[in-house]
Amino acid sequence: MLATKRYGQGDAAVVALDRVSVELAAGRFTAIMGPSGSGKSTLMHCLAGLDELTSGEVWLGDAQLGELSDRALTRLRRDRVGFVFQAFNLIPTLTAYENMTLPMELARRAPDKEWLAEVVKVVGLGDRLGHRPSELSGGQQQRVAVARALASRPDVIFADEPTGNLDSTSGGAVLGFLRHAVDALGQTIVMVTHDAVAAAYADSVLFLADGRVVDELHSPTADSVLDRMKRLGS
Amino acid sequence: MLRTTLKNLRSHLRRLVSTSLAVVLGVGFLAATLFIGDTMRGSFDQAFTEANDGLAVAVRSQVQFGDTDIVSQNGTVDITLADEIRQLDGVDAVQISIEGTAQIVGANGDPIGGGGPPTLGRNWIDDPRLNPYELAEGRAPVAPDEVVIDRGAAEAGDLAVGDTTTIRSPEPVPVEIVGIVTFGDQDSLGPSTYAAFTTERAQELFVGDAGAADRLLVAAETDVDHDDLAAQVAALLPDDLETLTAAEVAADQLADIEGDFIGFFETMLLGFAGIALLVATFSIHNTFSILVAQRTRESALLRAIGASRAQVLGAVALEAAVIGVVATTVGLAVGVGLAQLAMAAMDAAGFGMAGSIVLSSGAVLAAAAIGVGVTLVASLAPSLAASRVPPLAAIRDVATERTSASKGRVIAGAVLLVGAGLALLTAPSAGDGAPARAGLAAAVVLVAAVMLGPVAARPLAGALGRPIAALRGHTGLLARRNAMRNPRRTSGTASALTLGVAVVALFTVFASSITTSIDDTVDRSFGGDLVVSTGFGEAALSGDLAAAIGELPEVAAAIPLGSAVAEVNGEVVYPTPTDPAGLEGVLDLDVQEGSLDDVGIDGMAVGTRRADDEGWSLGDAVTLDLADGTQEVLRVGALYNSIDLVGDMLVHRDMWSAHTAQITDVAVLIDVADGVDLTAANVAVTGVSERFAAPAPQDRDEFVETAAGQVNQVLGVVYGLLAVAVLIALMGIANTVSLSVHERTRELGLLRAVGQTRSQLRAMVRWESVIVAVFGAVSGVVVGVLIGWGVLRAIAEAEGVATPLTLPATSLAIVVAVGAVAGVLAAVRPARRAARLDVLQAIATD
Repeated sequence: MLATKRYGQGDAAVVALDRVSVELAAGRFTAIMGPSGSGKSTLMHCLAGLDELTSGEVWLGDAQLGELSDRALTRLRRDRVGFVFQAFNLIPTLTAYENMTLPMELARRAPDKEWLAEVVKVVGLGDRLGHRPSELSGGQQQRVAVARALASRPDVIFADEPTGNLDSTSGGAVLGFLRHAVDALGQTIVMVTHDAVAAAYADSVLFLADGRVVDELHSPTADSVLDRMKRLGS
Repeated sequence: MLRTTLKNLRSHLRRLVSTSLAVVLGVGFLAATLFIGDTMRGSFDQAFTEANDGLAVAVRSQVQFGDTDIVSQNGTVDITLADEIRQLDGVDAVQISIEGTAQIVGANGDPIGGGGPPTLGRNWIDDPRLNPYELAEGRAPVAPDEVVIDRGAAEAGDLAVGDTTTIRSPEPVPVEIVGIVTFGDQDSLGPSTYAAFTTERAQELFVGDAGAADRLLVAAETDVDHDDLAAQVAALLPDDLETLTAAEVAADQLADIEGDFIGFFETMLLGFAGIALLVATFSIHNTFSILVAQRTRESALLRAIGASRAQVLGAVALEAAVIGVVATTVGLAVGVGLAQLAMAAMDAAGFGMAGSIVLSSGAVLAAAAIGVGVTLVASLAPSLAASRVPPLAAIRDVATERTSASKGRVIAGAVLLVGAGLALLTAPSAGDGAPARAGLAAAVVLVAAVMLGPVAARPLAGALGRPIAALRGHTGLLARRNAMRNPRRTSGTASALTLGVAVVALFTVFASSITTSIDDTVDRSFGGDLVVSTGFGEAALSGDLAAAIGELPEVAAAIPLGSAVAEVNGEVVYPTPTDPAGLEGVLDLDVQEGSLDDVGIDGMAVGTRRADDEGWSLGDAVTLDLADGTQEVLRVGALYNSIDLVGDMLVHRDMWSAHTAQITDVAVLIDVADGVDLTAANVAVTGVSERFAAPAPQDRDEFVETAAGQVNQVLGVVYGLLAVAVLIALMGIANTVSLSVHERTRELGLLRAVGQTRSQLRAMVRWESVIVAVFGAVSGVVVGVLIGWGVLRAIAEAEGVATPLTLPATSLAIVVAVGAVAGVLAAVRPARRAARLDVLQAIATD
C-alpha cells in the first residue's frame, strides 16, 4: 500500500505525499532531504503519528497508526516515539532535568535510573541540569531536547531540523550527540533537514521532491549529498 | 488607525464579548438599582399625590418625635378645633384622622405583612376626598368590632367580607371584616397593610383620648385657594399645631417611605453595585494588560511603519471605548430586564408594584457614564504601556510584559500597607471617629494588598500548588509552575476575586462576631429562663401581657421591656420603659454606681458611657421632653455597663404609661418559679401568649438562635448581592486563563507531541485556574479578616459595645472552597479549547 497525503479537496487539493513507500531500518540514522514543499515534514509528521494519511498505512513496529484513537496515538507518542523540533523544544517552566523526564512523568512511569544516568552523562550538561531553558544556550537546549527524546528509550526519534536555529559549532555538537546515540545506544533516528552537512551525519539519506521519494544515498558525505541535490534541482 | 482598531475588534469578537461581560453585569446591576428606586419613588409619588387630591389643608401637632423605623410619637390635635375650622368660609368638610399600627391576623392565624413595611391602623373616613381608600366590597364599619381591610391584605390572609379575625393593635382586638377597600385602583398601598375602624374605636385604640386626633383633614369648596385657606386655618391654631398643604403631606409621606424603605434598599444595593463595578474594573484592567502585552509586536509594527505614540495610545483607548459603550448599552438593557424581574417578583409577593419601569434620563446617564468611565479608567495604564512599545520590538524579541511588580509599586504598596495598618491598629484611639478612621484605613489596606499582590503571588501560588504537584504529578507540577511564572498576571487575575472575597469575609466575620457576642451577652447577663419577644417589624406586645404572665403560678417574675421616645435638650432619645427594680432578678446589667432598686417612677438608669458623654452623674436631674407636650424631670439612680440588651437608658414603665395612649412592650423576660419544670412553665406561658396573639416564649438557646438567625438572614442577602461581584471576578479568571492558553499554544502543542493526553492537558489548565482562584480567595479572606478585626475594635471603642472578633473557621473554609470550585468552573471553557488544539498547527515553526 502506498501512502498519500492530500490537503484540501477538488481543484484546490494539494498532494503533499504522492504514493510514497519507505521503510526505515531500526538502529539506524536516516536523514530525509528535499527542497521546501517537497513533503519531507509531512512525511515525518505522518510517520510520527502527528498527522493522518489520506490513504495508505504507517506501521511502527506492530502498530498501524491509522487505526489508533487519539488517546492511543498520544500514548504511542509518549511511550514509543521521541521528538526533537527546530525550536521551542522545552517547557519554559520546567528545569532541564524535568524536561528530560517529562514524557515518563506524563506516563506516570518511573524513569530507568541507570539509563537516565547514562543519558545525562552523554548529554554532558552536568550541573546545568537544574537550570531553566531560558538559562541555557540554544545548543544546550537542543541537547536537552535530544536527551528527553532518548530518556524514554523510544522505538524511534524524529528530529525536525534540529540544528536549524544553531550556529555551526553548536549544531555540530547536537548532531554528534545524535550520531553517538545511534552508535553507542542503538537508537533509531529519523531526521528532516535541508543542510547537507547535517545529512552527512546520517547512515542514509532519502531525497524527496513533489511528494515522492526520488533518490536514496547510503553512507553520505556532505559533498555527495550536495552533489545529489544539485542533480535533483536541475 | 480607526480602521485598524475596528478590524482588531472584529477579529477578536469572542474575547471582546468575554471582556465586556464584566461591564455588562456591573452596569446592569447598577442600572437596575437606579431604575427600581426611580420606579418605586415614581409610583409612590403618584399614589400619594392622588391620595391627597381632595385634601385642602391638614392640621397636625408640631411635636413629631422619633424615627418611624423604631418608635415614634406625635402630639395630638384637640378635635373641638374641627368645629371652629368648619365655620371658616370656603371649608366644605373637616374630618378627624387617627393613625396607628394594626397588624391583621390571617385566616391561618399568622399575621399579614409587617417585617418592615408599615401595618396601617386608621379610622374609616367617609368623605372620599379625604380618604384615598375606596370601598370595593361590603360597607364601612359602624360598630366597634367592625373593620374594613385592604384587598392586598385580604388576599394575602385569605380573608373575606363576613370573616372574623384578630387585629393586633397590639392588644388583640377581635373584629369582623365588613368591607374590602382598595387604594385608588391598587389592591394596597405598596407593601403596606391597612385596617380601618370606626373613628371612636380608633381613637380608643390608637389615641386613648376621645377628644383628640392625630390630624384634622380639611376639604375645601370648589374655587377656594388652598393656600389662603391654610392661612385662615393657621390663624385659629394654638402654637403647637401646624398646617400642611396637600403637596406637603404627599412630600412628607414620600420622605417617610424613602427613609424607611426605598432609600435604605437603594443605598445598600448601590453599595454592592459599586463593589461589583470595582471588581469589574480590576478584571478589565487585567484583561487589557494581557491583550496589550500579547500585541506588543503588532503595536511595534505600527510604530515602525510610522504610527505616532499618540496614535497607538488612541487605538487601544478607542478599543476600550468601543467595548465600554457596547457593554454599557447591553448593561442598560440588562438593567431594565433585571428591574422588571424585580418588580414582577415584588408584585407577585403582594407588594403591589404594578406599572412600567421608570427610566429617568438621570439614571440612564449616570449608569452609562459610570460604565464607559470604568472601562476607560481600567484600560488607561495598559493603553499607555502599549504606546511605550519601542518600534524595535517588532523585529526583536523584546519582552515588554513585566512579570513582577515594579520597585515603585512595591515601595508605594508597602508604605500604604504599613501606614494604613498602623491607622487601623490605632483607630480605637480616635474615640467617636474610630469607625470612620478604621473604615478608611481598611479601604487603603485593600488597595495596598492589591498593589503588593505580585510580591505575594509567587510564594503563595507556589505554596498552594505544592500539594497539587505532590498529588497530581507532572500535571500538577506544570500547573503550579504556570501559576507562578508570571506573578503580576496571577495577582492581577486574582485581585478581582480578592476584592470580592475580602468583602464576603468581612461580612462573615462581622456576622459571626455579632452572633457570638449576642450569645455571650445572653449567657453573661440574662438570668431568666424564658423570653417572649417580637421580631423585627412585628407588632409590639400588649402592655398587659407581662402582668398576665406574672400571675401564673409557674412564673416568679415577668419583666417587660418597652420602647419609648423623648427628647433631651432637643436630641431624640429612645429610653427603655421597664420595671428597673424587678429587672435585676432576670438581667445582670453590671451596675457600677447606685442601684436599680432606687430607680422609681421619677428615676432613670443610664449606661456609663452615655453618662460620661452627657456629663451626668448619680443623683443628677435630667429633663425629658415628651410628645404630649409635657416634661418629666428624672433623677439618675443607677449607672450600668451592660447595654447590649436594654439600651443605655432605662425609665420606669409607670412614668411612660402616663404619657402614652397605649403601653406596649417589645419583650418580656421571664424567671420561672423555683422547682417548676421549664417545659411546664413554657406550656403555661404559651397559653397566655396565645391569648394575647403574641409569639410563643423562647428559652435561652432559642432566644440566641433567633437573634443569630436575624443576623444570618441579613448575611444571606449580603452573600446574594456579593455573588454578582464574585461572578464578575470569575469571568475575569476565565478570561485570563483563556488568554494564557492562547499565548502558550506552542508550549501546549509540544506537551501534546511528547505525550500529554487531552485529559492531562485539561487538568493542567484547570489546576492552574484553581491555584489562581484559591490564591485570590485566601488573600481575600486574610485581608477581610484583618479589616474585620480592625473595624470591630474601632466600633467597640466608639459605641461602647465590645464585640470580640470570632473567626468562623468553617464558613471561611467554605469561602475558600467555593473559590476553588469556581476556579474549576472558570477553567472549563479554556481547558476544553486548549484540549482541542491541533498539535501540528501548534508546533508549526511559523
